[in-house]
Amino acid sequence: MGYEALDFYDVDSLLTDEERMIRDAVRDWVDESVIPKIENACREGVFLDEWRQDIGSMGILGAPLKGYGCPGLSYTAYGVICRELERGDSGIRSFASVQGSLAMYPIWDFGSEEQKEKYLPGMATGELIGCFGLTEPDYGSNPGDMVTKATEDGDGFVLNGAKMWITNGTIADLAIVWAKLDGVIRGFIVEKGDPGFSAPEMKGKHSLKASVTSELVFQDCRIPKDRILPGVKGLRGPFSCLNNARFGISWGAIGSAQACYDSAKSYALSRIQFDHPIAAYQLVQNKLAWMLREITKGQLLAYHLGKKKDAGEWIPEHISLAKMNNVDIALEIARVSRDIHGANGILDEYPVMRHMANLESVKTYEGTHDIHNLILGRHITGIQAFTKGA
Amino acid sequence: MKVAVLIKQVPDTTAKVGITSGSVDEGAISKWSISPYDEYALESALSLQSGSGATVVAITLGPERSSKSLIDAAAVGADELLHVVHDGGLGSLSLQKALSEAVTRVGAEVVLVGKQAADTNSGSTGPGVAKMLNYSCVGLVSRIEAGSDGFEATRSTPSGMERVSVKLPCVFAFDKGDVELRRPNVRGIMMAKKKPIEKISLADLGVDNTGEGVSTTSVDYPPEKPEGQRFEGADAAAEVAVKLREEANVI
Ligand SMILES: Cc1cc2nc3c(=O)[nH]c(=O)nc-3n(C[C@H](O)[C@H](O)[C@H](O)COP(=O)(O)OP(=O)(O)OC[C@H]3O[C@@H](n4cnc5c(N)ncnc54)[C@H](O)[C@@H]3O)c2cc1C
Repeated sequence: MGYEALDFYDVDSLLTDEERMIRDAVRDWVDESVIPKIENACREGVFLDEWRQDIGSMGILGAPLKGYGCPGLSYTAYGVICRELERGDSGIRSFASVQGSLAMYPIWDFGSEEQKEKYLPGMATGELIGCFGLTEPDYGSNPGDMVTKATEDGDGFVLNGAKMWITNGTIADLAIVWAKLDGVIRGFIVEKGDPGFSAPEMKGKHSLKASVTSELVFQDCRIPKDRILPGVKGLRGPFSCLNNARFGISWGAIGSAQACYDSAKSYALSRIQFDHPIAAYQLVQNKLAWMLREITKGQLLAYHLGKKKDAGEWIPEHISLAKMNNVDIALEIARVSRDIHGANGILDEYPVMRHMANLESVKTYEGTHDIHNLILGRHITGIQAFTKGA
Repeated sequence: MKVAVLIKQVPDTTAKVGITSGSVDEGAISKWSISPYDEYALESALSLQSGSGATVVAITLGPERSSKSLIDAAAVGADELLHVVHDGGLGSLSLQKALSEAVTRVGAEVVLVGKQAADTNSGSTGPGVAKMLNYSCVGLVSRIEAGSDGFEATRSTPSGMERVSVKLPCVFAFDKGDVELRRPNVRGIMMAKKKPIEKISLADLGVDNTGEGVSTTSVDYPPEKPEGQRFEGADAAAEVAVKLREEANVI
């Protein structure tokens, strides 16, 4: 049975014609090129190179960026793209999020003219893959205390330290690396093959199996002077990137939730127990009605946030709320959907357990659920609760 | 060289189709798409465009909503768009007349069309347009290549592949080919938005929708499939084999 995207309030009627055409193009691509291949890719733990090529040739990478070969779409269109990709798999959306919001965006916003011209056109077509190295083994939610260091040395910089949990790391042609130069966080562009740089893949994930996750290791890694991002200092750099990626996730999670709802609905209608389809029982209807309710609210949240982002009238806390809420409900919907599928729910014949496992990562990365609670808590009270005491 | 592609907008193959009082309830159809065989015609036209610099004109006939199929065609690369706007029924003779007039109007010597539309399945448009234009016509084509003096067309027949050579002017009615359909990219979609659609009426083409030989009286759902039969145990094998051979005709 084909995928029927739940849109109870017809929220997509608010999109522009082009946004809907882009939606349909990405949705068709996911049907043809992701759904038939994703389970196998997860089993083997690989991100297929043909996905990179297709996503690149669709022209959706770095969606909201303008110039330098980038698509120049609205943030709402970017959200729609993330939603459709994540309906296929969170790993596919992660690839696009990291490339567009975490690797292209900092070059686009904080890079020099030469850096923009050198990297952005190839990244927009997917010929060059980027990754984003912020998290370290000992500094996850608290990246401000990172220990990766850059030192000036003659006509270049020398990097030392390690990053962990870096999406696309091993397959990346360039890494945006955040490191401290004289105690101040700065962004550096490290290219594959730079001396002293390696990016071994992390294995053994139960989640986002079709996405590459890596360590980035810098041992006296030498890079030329012109690889520092001149336009930003401090945590504002990585956080501006995260704002955009989190925005995309607030849409993307809805795609996962729609996939889980769609599967639960058709399964409930066809599975007969005690002589009737299980969809005929009130308890199951209650679960489906709850999914419909939460997805509809999440869609309205994502759409309105898109409009605010496009109008430039947003604060990071708006994004925190949507990322946190939509991932939270998507994960719970995946779990309830798994329950409705009974034992079948654990099989890879159905997408639900895969989405559920993926969403555990999505809940943690780009600011954990509770870090977003703390961001909102600080906004409400004016009191930060990230750390105790002075 | 100008190549016209005739495109029909039909209910998407995934859309549910309902019938009220003998006709299809169009208002209830959730998604409309380019008829699948027409997509192969369009794909072939676009490869003529990239291969031999042909100008591709997409032509559709239908209500306002069918403009969307022209925009979709532009998103993958169609150069010019012509919409013959007509809402409501149209006999096949008037349809062929209108489309052949449209082809003449755009000045195309080559016409590509699907072998049949996914909704009506009548299969008369390609041959009918060819007859009215007095163009040669080749049906069930899976591939065409431009030659020095016309085209070479590949047709799949039950017994193998047939290659025919065709002189201009001509009409090709496309079957599903072994080519991969190109998908729209963002750049194409953004450019499609800017491409003008010329809209004309039947009257502009001198067609008055009368004098039809054929008209649809009513449509109905297909008959319910008979219930399946169940067999158990190895003893039933002989009986199943007979039924598969004599009733189902599959072995
Ligand atoms: C698949 C995957 C891909 C990733 N990709 C990238 C990437 O491309 N680039 C990158 O830089 N990083 C990436 N990450 C890392 C991710 O951003 C971090 O995992 C995340 O920031 C959380 O850090 P942590 O895992 O160290 O958890 P911790 O920060 O150790 O948190 C552990 C728990 O403690 C809670 N906690 C932490 N601090 C507080 C507090 N003050 N108050 C209350 N609770 C608190 C958290 O909410 C969480 O529940 C990825 C992670 C995963 C799983």
